[in-house]
Amino acid sequence: MMRNVLVIGSGISGMSCALRLAGQGLFVTLVSPFPSERSQSVMAAGGINAVLEDNDEGDTVQSHVEDTLKGGAYLAGEEEVRGLCEHGGEILKYLESIGTVFSLDNDRKLSKRAFGGQSHKRTYYCGASTGKQIVSSLVMEVRHFEAEGRIIRRLWNCFHSALIKDGVCYGALLYDETSGGLEACYADAVVMATGGQNALFGKTTGSTQCDGYTQGMLFTQGVKLKNLEFIQYHPTTMETGQKKMLISEAARGEGGRLFYVEDGRRVYFMEDKYGEKGNLMTRDLVSREIWMTKKQVMLDVSFLGEELIRRRIPEIMELCAKYGGIDITAEPIPVTPSVHFFMGGFAVGIDHETNIRNLFAVGECASIYHGANRLGGNSLLAAMHGGFTAADEICGRMGGGGHPDLDGYIKDQKEILEKKGKTESRFPVAYIRDLLAETMQKDLGIVRDEKSLDNGIADVDYYLETAEKIQYDNSVMPYFNYSLIGILTLARAVLTCAKSRRESRGAHYRADYPKTNEELAHATLISYDDGAYNTRLEV
Amino acid sequence: MKVKILRQVTPVSEPYWECFNYEGPMDITVAGLLDHINYNDDIVNDKGESTTRIGWECSCLQGVCGSCAMVINDRPALACETFLGDCKKDEVTIRPLRKFPVIHDLIIDRSSIHENLKKTSVYIGELMQGEDRDHEHQYTAAKCLKCGLCLEVCPNYKNGSTFYGAAFANDCYLVYARNKNKAEDIRRVYGERFGRGCSKSLSCMDVCPMKIPTIASISKLNRG
Repeated sequence: MMRNVLVIGSGISGMSCALRLAGQGLFVTLVSPFPSERSQSVMAAGGINAVLEDNDEGDTVQSHVEDTLKGGAYLAGEEEVRGLCEHGGEILKYLESIGTVFSLDNDRKLSKRAFGGQSHKRTYYCGASTGKQIVSSLVMEVRHFEAEGRIIRRLWNCFHSALIKDGVCYGALLYDETSGGLEACYADAVVMATGGQNALFGKTTGSTQCDGYTQGMLFTQGVKLKNLEFIQYHPTTMETGQKKMLISEAARGEGGRLFYVEDGRRVYFMEDKYGEKGNLMTRDLVSREIWMTKKQVMLDVSFLGEELIRRRIPEIMELCAKYGGIDITAEPIPVTPSVHFFMGGFAVGIDHETNIRNLFAVGECASIYHGANRLGGNSLLAAMHGGFTAADEICGRMGGGGHPDLDGYIKDQKEILEKKGKTESRFPVAYIRDLLAETMQKDLGIVRDEKSLDNGIADVDYYLETAEKIQYDNSVMPYFNYSLIGILTLARAVLTCAKSRRESRGAHYRADYPKTNEELAHATLISYDDGAYNTRLEV
Repeated sequence: MKVKILRQVTPVSEPYWECFNYEGPMDITVAGLLDHINYNDDIVNDKGESTTRIGWECSCLQGVCGSCAMVINDRPALACETFLGDCKKDEVTIRPLRKFPVIHDLIIDRSSIHENLKKTSVYIGELMQGEDRDHEHQYTAAKCLKCGLCLEVCPNYKNGSTFYGAAFANDCYLVYARNKNKAEDIRRVYGERFGRGCSKSLSCMDVCPMKIPTIASISKLNRG
């Protein structure tokens, strides 16, 4: 049986995996630069989907499966999605059992709200801070296993690369910020739980800590990536000088209405075009409709009344007041679509293993359930389910077979980092990351075409060429230096996938190929072969 | 505007003050200000000397992760929700939280918060809820960011001392409320590590970004 597992990333998917492993007697090292409270998971606001016994009338797990497949434009595997949806009830029970503080109805049952693209109300929630409440309860449960010595947290540690030989993973090289050096950590299995790729786009709705480096680095080490062209623009974010602040879908789930003003009157464009449920169409569609208005779109919840707003979506009220000076009980919120979630990531099988044996991926960094567009409320479910599924697979495996001699690789990487660490380039890493974000925002927007994608690829190739030549910028942490090429490589892969899909589907809309082509109803796989970015459809 | 920052290269090096000039909009936060300084191609201090980028920690930039806790004009606060326009001075002074070891510049090591909770077994174990009367308070208490602001301002808390502060008390309350079989054990450890040492200045509540009414946790735990 396997004994030691390295989990990289300590948000919801990393913690759920670690807990399930530790609960079955394995020893887990949970690696992250910062504690779980700093993870992007705490920002997940709206809720978690499940079909429970007190379901909305007529709702079934099958409906959840169908909504998820349809929302994802039929790119996700049915078997995988069925596993996800069937697991919803057990996951909700588990979260309650470890003390997650869900919102309750007057009859003390779990409250649920409507979310976009779903045929029934099935999104259970904790106010508008569902992710934070789940993180708090998982942290406490992890603490239980920490106290028993079954989970060890390694804080101030960043992933550097995996220890891979002949298609098998034996552990990872970690950069320890406290000692300032690389350390080899051998393990029977490694689970990546490192989140999305925000840094490619600069400031998004998500955490600055999610930069996509692990995906880019492992891609160059032979790990296949999938569906990178599908990037979810959340329809409702509020622009501030600081970042794009997410206005949770909960606002529309509670009845919020989108409109713009024309000739002095409000045009409820989503309702006009799609009827009563227009405001709660899938995120890809709402974002595209907002983009097409070419006007300032507003989101109004004021008519819900202060009492309901304070009770159901207090966090949204506070956020708008604090950063936008807007009283949502009295005035509408100006909203704009912004990069929010990445449907693409590590290509994994139903057991969450990548094409490298004993290397797994869970949570947002893995591409498996959401196809071409994710439904709100499915990311928290997928984070929990993915963590549990990978853990169960690992627990059933034989392990303890030792590892091959990887000393040469480890020594080389240590020498490279040490040598580069002594250099003193004044060329700031932040400058290249800024340029990259500008390119990606411009050339990989809600609507793309071949020309913009070619421009993006040419730009990123130039940044890559530059990054390979420059020395390290000693005024930032070494991680920022060594992660740059991985981040740029991932960006190049994303653009390549977007160029290769000559159709419009889900979140990928090509102005030059505006129609969906049924022959292309398959996921995109991309691999890195001696410096070449090769894509193919997963037929 | 003059920006004065207490900097420190490594955990063992001497701290020093460095000043910067800021000429820009005042409707940005201190987080935006730090970004503004760091994202210049060349960073120069107020003497025109070239200097290094300022180390600081951030993640969500919207007040829900607690990364960017620091002392701003002598008040412990999150940088991402402290607006320059509210600073009411021509100068903004920024320093790392004083109750935790400095790693680099404004980055601090707050692992003692978790270590204290771990070594006193503050976890629910098996959910054995009594009558659920305090659902709303549980919800609020579970929003604790573990940012350390409450400990920074607390007159009783020192790093390494046996008094563990408000973040500890609120997690104790969550265990107390959700496992009645563990309630007495938790009350005992709460008494030893918080109850006996708290002088009830309640300054912790003034600075809490999540507005957690720690007094409610205290009264529930004291009452038993």
